[in-house]
Amino acid sequence: MDLQPIHPAPTGFFRNYIWSTDHKVIAKQFVWAGLLFLLFGGILAMAIRWQWAYPYEPIPLIGKAVLPRSGGVITPASYQSIFTMHGLIMIFFAITPLMIGAFGNFCIPLMIGARDMAFPLLNALSFWTFVSSQCLVIASFFVQLGTAAAGWTTYAPLSTNVGTPGWGQTLVVMAIFVTGVATIMGSVNYVTTVIRLRAPGMTYMRMPLTVWGLWLTAILNVLFVPVLGSAGLLLLMDRMFGTQFFITGAAGGKGDPVLFQHLFWIFGHPEVYILILPAWGFVSDLVSFFARKPAYWYKGSVLAMTAVTVLSAVVYGHHMFVTGMNPLLGQGFMLLTLIISVPAEILFLNWLHTIWKGSIRLTSPMLFALGTVFVFGLGGLTGIFLGTISTDLYLHDTMFVVGHFHFTMAAAAFLGSFGALYFWFPKMFGRQMNETLAKAHFWPSLIFITLVFGGQLVAGYAGHQRRLFDPYQYTFLQHLHPLNKFTSISAFILGLSQLIFIYNFFSSVFAGKKAEQNPWKVGTLEWETTSPPPHHNYDVIPTVRRGPHEYANPEAIKLLGRDWLTQTEELPEAAAPKQALPVAGA
Amino acid sequence: MTVSAHVSSRSLGQGASVIELKPRARQDFTSSLGMMVFLASWAMMFSTLFFAYAFLRARAVSWPPPDVPALPVALPALNTLVLLASSFTFQRGIGSRRRPLRRVLPGEGLARSRRRQLAPWVLATFALGFLFLGLQLVVWRGVWASGLTHQTGIYGGIFYGFTVLHALHVVAGLLVLLWVFVRTLRLDYTEHNVVNVRLCAMFWHFVDVVWVLMFVTLYLL
Repeated sequence: MDLQPIHPAPTGFFRNYIWSTDHKVIAKQFVWAGLLFLLFGGILAMAIRWQWAYPYEPIPLIGKAVLPRSGGVITPASYQSIFTMHGLIMIFFAITPLMIGAFGNFCIPLMIGARDMAFPLLNALSFWTFVSSQCLVIASFFVQLGTAAAGWTTYAPLSTNVGTPGWGQTLVVMAIFVTGVATIMGSVNYVTTVIRLRAPGMTYMRMPLTVWGLWLTAILNVLFVPVLGSAGLLLLMDRMFGTQFFITGAAGGKGDPVLFQHLFWIFGHPEVYILILPAWGFVSDLVSFFARKPAYWYKGSVLAMTAVTVLSAVVYGHHMFVTGMNPLLGQGFMLLTLIISVPAEILFLNWLHTIWKGSIRLTSPMLFALGTVFVFGLGGLTGIFLGTISTDLYLHDTMFVVGHFHFTMAAAAFLGSFGALYFWFPKMFGRQMNETLAKAHFWPSLIFITLVFGGQLVAGYAGHQRRLFDPYQYTFLQHLHPLNKFTSISAFILGLSQLIFIYNFFSSVFAGKKAEQNPWKVGTLEWETTSPPPHHNYDVIPTVRRGPHEYANPEAIKLLGRDWLTQTEELPEAAAPKQALPVAGA
Repeated sequence: MTVSAHVSSRSLGQGASVIELKPRARQDFTSSLGMMVFLASWAMMFSTLFFAYAFLRARAVSWPPPDVPALPVALPALNTLVLLASSFTFQRGIGSRRRPLRRVLPGEGLARSRRRQLAPWVLATFALGFLFLGLQLVVWRGVWASGLTHQTGIYGGIFYGFTVLHALHVVAGLLVLLWVFVRTLRLDYTEHNVVNVRLCAMFWHFVDVVWVLMFVTLYLL
């Protein structure tokens, strides 16, 4: 029928691996593209940490190759580019493709029982648009005056020709615009697919929380990425055609640099939830799967995530408390911001309640999920101080902010993505990852990521401003040098421990043990098809009979002898023909 | 696989079956929904521009700034009518839900009847859209000659920036119209893909609505 016909699997290398419209292949393409840029952004982070631990000393090993003119020493100009591109690459070109591009593509159709996305061609187009934006980023490193240097927030007037002349910044703003177009294309697909292609019986309240997280993310993307697109267009006009939207003091009406901050954060605050909502989804499902218990208050989690999605659109002003905002407006934003902690707290308590008295299986995805809960908790708690005006006035623009958003957006998104990758790897590649190495990857990742961003929080609380090239030219920051060294060494160990993952990933992709259909013994739809699934996912579109978290169901234990039920199976009793009940008075 | 049947059922094993109504209509709705989501995204993009406009204008001492030449109103107003007319011609071509274009003459296939009924209206829409761009060019030249350039503060920046961005959408719309016209002539539109014409019309109407808002904000307010 028609609605979702079975198309023959494509033949030939090009249609299979390059221009494929299969959501599973596109997901894997996003995995590769995202991991590559994650490595790139990670190396840039190491350079920043090197500068704060050993300023004016050449970077070992690769320094002479990447910074030949200064002999491997980071100069103020290159330092600016390094921290700018670290942020932009991580957010737009590593986490977004990995979390939303890869898992959105892979999980949504499989978990709702669809054969593919609603618009497969648009999906392929989205990926290749994304790749072209990555090419723009790479190109920006090779132009005169170097790549972007105005910080990831690209605030005007620093990002106009006054602050950052040359093609580097222009190319990067173009890259962000193009990647935004790619994101919107993908998100249109996700939104429509979830609304239209759910399998029979897959009601909204039976969807796995992963799908909920990804779907809400897609809605936010559709509505708020274009805001950044517009801001980028106005900035490009300023840079390329000499308009003055963000430059003040011109005749014929003044432009305003603060306008850029408004536009940026109208997008930017939903964006931070864009980067965390998928991780919330993964974690909500994973803690249930591996505590072998139903997710505590499923509907509450759904409502909480939806509430956060809605609230995220109306709190952006808390990024701008110190821009001379009307205090009354600031208070309104503060109130709305702090209200967000209520649904976030509900979600958090739901995770803890799910784990409570569960029969916890400490597999690698579960470890990463628990790690996400931990670092997100730290990130969320520190956020309260930044959402409150009185404390924000002191902490604004310090390393405390950096530590806070790294705990939420970086650590939680990073650990959440890895949890998801370890969990769905068997389904994606049809092979099993080495579990011992996965755990060996987890522990240093969790410990050192906490130390790195914890060190930033402490430094920031002591008054360490963010983005300083050489903090130690200020006497009041000189005593923080040992702390920064400790943080940097933690960061280097964190970086090195990722080698375990790289080795494990490559060896498992090409030579891992063949995965069985359902290695984790969970009941969501994607585990009811082969690993990896056939081109059309399901021979017969499944009919869904229950929610995604049927564990420790006493009836299932009694009738089937196992502690879990798939979303589709009928219990033996229910399958038996029902006897007609005697009707009174008949 | 045929999709002409309006009602079909399929077996789900174990004797269960699901009856789905009009798969064609369902698929068309999926396409329309995708387009609506896209247009919502586009609407946010233009809303951002209007937000920027409101923000800058609210902070300006006087608006328009005292030293800038006045914008014309008559010609842009006429141009607005031209673009509105083009929306009407396009809609007339594809017909409405109440009055769908299903009049098939004896001996004429569905595709041919569609060509007979759709092609002239698409051509008219294209011509009106083209006229809009031409008149827009006249407006730009006049304003430029009066001394307002894109570098005359934010007033000039907003005027040229917004109208050019909109004009780029009109250009994209015209290319799409051309494609629709060629495909109509080639009898490419079957029952399965005729929804694409409707999607193009949605985009065209959207560009039209954005222009009306732009006309009101830039020229009248």
